[in-house]
Amino acid sequence: MSINNLISGILSGDNRSIARAISIVESADIKTREKIIKEIYNRGNAKIIGITGPPGVGKSTIIGNIAPMLSDYGKISILAVDPASPFSGGSILGNRIRMQETLSKKNIFMRSTSNRLYNGGLSEYSWDIIKIMEASGSDFIILETVGSGQSDIDIMNIADITCVVLAPGLGDEIQAIKSGIMEIGDIFIVNKIDREGSYIAIKDIRETLNLGNKIKTPVIGINSINKENYDKFLDYIIKWDKKNYKKKYIGKLKQIIIEDIYNKYSCYIDNMEYDENTLKKDPYTVAEAIIKNMNEIIDK
Amino acid sequence: MENGRNRKYTEAPIKILLAKPAIDGHDRGIFVLARAFRDAGMDVIYAGLLPTPEEVVDTAINEDVDVIALSLLNGAHLTAFKNVMDILNKKDVHDIAVVGGGIIPDDDKPILEKMGVTGNFGPGTPLKIIIKHVRERAMEVRKIKEDEYK
Ligand SMILES: Nc1nc2c(ncn2[C@@H]2O[C@H](COP(=O)(O)OP(=O)(O)OP(=O)(O)O)[C@@H](O)[C@H]2O)c(=O)[nH]1
Ligand SMILES: [Mg+2]
Repeated sequence: MSINNLISGILSGDNRSIARAISIVESADIKTREKIIKEIYNRGNAKIIGITGPPGVGKSTIIGNIAPMLSDYGKISILAVDPASPFSGGSILGNRIRMQETLSKKNIFMRSTSNRLYNGGLSEYSWDIIKIMEASGSDFIILETVGSGQSDIDIMNIADITCVVLAPGLGDEIQAIKSGIMEIGDIFIVNKIDREGSYIAIKDIRETLNLGNKIKTPVIGINSINKENYDKFLDYIIKWDKKNYKKKYIGKLKQIIIEDIYNKYSCYIDNMEYDENTLKKDPYTVAEAIIKNMNEIIDK
Repeated sequence: MENGRNRKYTEAPIKILLAKPAIDGHDRGIFVLARAFRDAGMDVIYAGLLPTPEEVVDTAINEDVDVIALSLLNGAHLTAFKNVMDILNKKDVHDIAVVGGGIIPDDDKPILEKMGVTGNFGPGTPLKIIIKHVRERAMEVRKIKEDEYK
């Protein structure tokens, strides 16, 4: 398979091509990534649904439940990000377990990925992976963040709808209010309402949102065991308008530029001569000199 | 990890799917393995109890893993492993390595090897040996992939 075959495979919705292309954008050099994205950009149009929230609140379970319901409205793809171990760089990608049953039943494409220690709740190339999924004909793409609960803010620059999931009893609601996760949600889901304390959790979140001028932001309590209130959740997702075009675009543009400049400077810096004199100079002065030399470095 | 550093496709963490293509109820061993692979720097998918070989193969393809590690403890390995290999072959997938483990009689090992299932480690095999074998198999298939996308 060459890159060209891969691209026609993506466009025809072939899972193997989609899967391989994802590996390549995640791991290959910028040139190869560019080649793929160039060919498929603008070749799809999906609504991107972000699912974020603290660990263990039920994000994966919710996706496993809502995906088959959404599949009555179009093709679904799922991307779920898990954290890498800071010690080994490896990871256990555990989100799939909660979805496996529906995935096979409905033939839904799902991909697990490690964040490879990238901050922000997603992986470095989540944007690119989503583009591939869009080009493969997806109407909805569901994205699960790492679930650190605190710093998962990249999602709002990539999703059309950001759903913040919380659960009663763990003090998560309070945590969320503190950590600023309240700012990023378009919809708030209180999962596990079969548990004690869910009424208070919903009420707390509602009040906090009201205080923050988010009176119109919905808060829905759901039960993922018997699927109570999933119909309401589904309804919001279906009716929600796509948004964020410009924001997503600008975010990605900056990332590409930073990556390019970083690579060039980094290469230059790695190959500099380091005699004793250089090492005696403070790094700010040396950096300033390097930046002044920008044209030469960037044009290379 | 640094942002936007130059990468080589084949240098990414090894991705491995741990699967038991039949229900046997023994889950603990597989979690120990999962952690060992993670601590060796691999991305590990444990997809729960996967009831059918079709699901094992579909998951492996969609997740684009380098290696499928099949384990069985109830003696049904020959058919189960063969089913997975047959489906891979039928789909013309030759860039995913398959390694086996479980309680495997010595007589069955050559048969499994011939099918393309390597390793076939019994209980108590040191993790180091298993990890080394997985790495070697992963590098084999990485080589195939590397040559494909230049
Ligand atoms: N009682 C109850 N338990 C639930 C509900 N939804 C999910 N769970 C359980 O909560 C646990 C965590 O669920 P996950 O779906 O893995 O949660 P998650 O947010 O994806 O977790 P991470 O990806 O690890 O952050 C599992 O044991 C689920 O079975 C619910 O509505 N009620
Ligand atoms: Mg999860």
